[in-house]
Amino acid sequence: MDYQQEPHGMFLMIDNKSFYASVESVERGLNPLESVLIVMSEADNTGSGLVLAASPMAKKEFGISNVSRQYEVPHDSRILVVPPRMNLYIQKNLAINKIFRQFVTDDDLFPYSIDESILDMTHSWRLFGKTPEEVARRIQLKVRHELGLYTTVGIGENPIQAKLALDLQAKHDHELIGRLTYDSFPKHIWPITNLEKVWSIGHRTAAHLERLGIHSMDDLAHVNPYELRSEMGMIGAQLFALAWGIDRSQLHQVRPPKEKSWSNSQVLPRDYRVQAEIELVIREIGQQVTSRMRHHRQQAGCVSLYVGFARADTENDGRTGFDHSCRIAPTDNAQTIVATLLHLFRKNWADQPVRNLGVGLSRLSHCQNLQLDLFQEPERQIKNDQFDRVLDELRDKFGKTAVIPASSLMPGGTMLRRASLVGGHNGGNSFD
Amino acid sequence: MGGIVLINCDQEADVIATRLDPLFTAQWHCQYRIDVVNNQYGSAFNFFLDIRRKNHRERSIPLHTVHATDLAILEKIIVALKKHTQLSLNFVNFGHVRWPESQRWIR
Repeated sequence: MDYQQEPHGMFLMIDNKSFYASVESVERGLNPLESVLIVMSEADNTGSGLVLAASPMAKKEFGISNVSRQYEVPHDSRILVVPPRMNLYIQKNLAINKIFRQFVTDDDLFPYSIDESILDMTHSWRLFGKTPEEVARRIQLKVRHELGLYTTVGIGENPIQAKLALDLQAKHDHELIGRLTYDSFPKHIWPITNLEKVWSIGHRTAAHLERLGIHSMDDLAHVNPYELRSEMGMIGAQLFALAWGIDRSQLHQVRPPKEKSWSNSQVLPRDYRVQAEIELVIREIGQQVTSRMRHHRQQAGCVSLYVGFARADTENDGRTGFDHSCRIAPTDNAQTIVATLLHLFRKNWADQPVRNLGVGLSRLSHCQNLQLDLFQEPERQIKNDQFDRVLDELRDKFGKTAVIPASSLMPGGTMLRRASLVGGHNGGNSFD
Repeated sequence: MGGIVLINCDQEADVIATRLDPLFTAQWHCQYRIDVVNNQYGSAFNFFLDIRRKNHRERSIPLHTVHATDLAILEKIIVALKKHTQLSLNFVNFGHVRWPESQRWIR
């Protein structure tokens, strides 16, 4: 393979070792690598509890993984259980990225997730050390020194190599550093036979590849790319490039999504069977999404509703839920949108118990003036519009729960309890 | 926390006490303890309620964070807190130093 035409940069992919658990360990004066600590969310909809993060020792000694359920965790007094504080983790993530900015310009830093960032150090790494490993070490020490957290670094000539070096090498390396180059890629990556371990290959893609007789990365690299592409489409070409460590993505060129949409969804705390209760939650989510959209001065021309059935019922019904959408005249009026949602729900729901609900608004357009509907009283329409805006203003000023519909106090309402959650888990503001 | 923040020690102790009360349910065979952590990385003192029970997982629930590094402030908060609760206090990462006011060892 001739790599001359490929981009040769220097990318670091940096990840925090067991991020949430490490932050909580540091807050308690414990060493993140030595403590046996798990962060457990006990929000209403996680059942008995869900492990959000486990410290490296908890994983090693007790085999606890990051998505274990409460009942899978042994009742052992050596395990320390703590509640999540999502806002604290966001703060720490910002602090870490601030440290990274001492090594790269703002334009070369790409936060990838709550605990991962990509640093394009092509132009700046020589300022900080003789080898990329030395630079990585320096960043690790700085984060450790300032925040007490351990970081894992993958180094590559392009982002995909950095990511694979992080996932497959650095996490098992004593120094927590891994490095891949075009030259070393075949040696380290091709022997992998468990394809699911490789980033971007999921359970289904791995099964598809197995069916095609591809059982290792070596096989994938030596398959005919044209055949793979005709079998799997675009993804086939992408996988072939992956097997050779090729990534031509230009991180600086941001590609805006073709069409933006707004959506919210939630897992209900229990199976909902009563129509009124389900509709109450649909109404709450509908209002929440509409309010988010209104903040961006947009209106929606399409409303979609997702209803996921309870697991017990999925077996009887054969369906896991339904997802329907409906075109409407562009509006940002919550009442109209909620009415459409309820219409969709009533039309499609046949008494199944419900566990998941989601609402989406799409076909967005910029909202300038109120478009009056010929078939409704104009005063009423203007009043409705003003009513929504006053509610938005009140909530901006005094918080999400400043004004709530009285119906949210009825059995089944989830809005009040979810108002303080961040990403569905305890934000932790009340602990400050 | 940017800028100068005046810390009202009694108020801080109150915050801790009001969060502590609903959590301290005084169950049988349960050890309750308040952990006071000197968090060098965050320049703050963190308070946690630690609950231990035989054959149960240990739990640690955050109570409060005081953004200060001055031991005199912490001492006042601790004095105010001790008026409210008899729970034992466990000081973490303070090293071998004395309280500025009472001159007793921090432990």
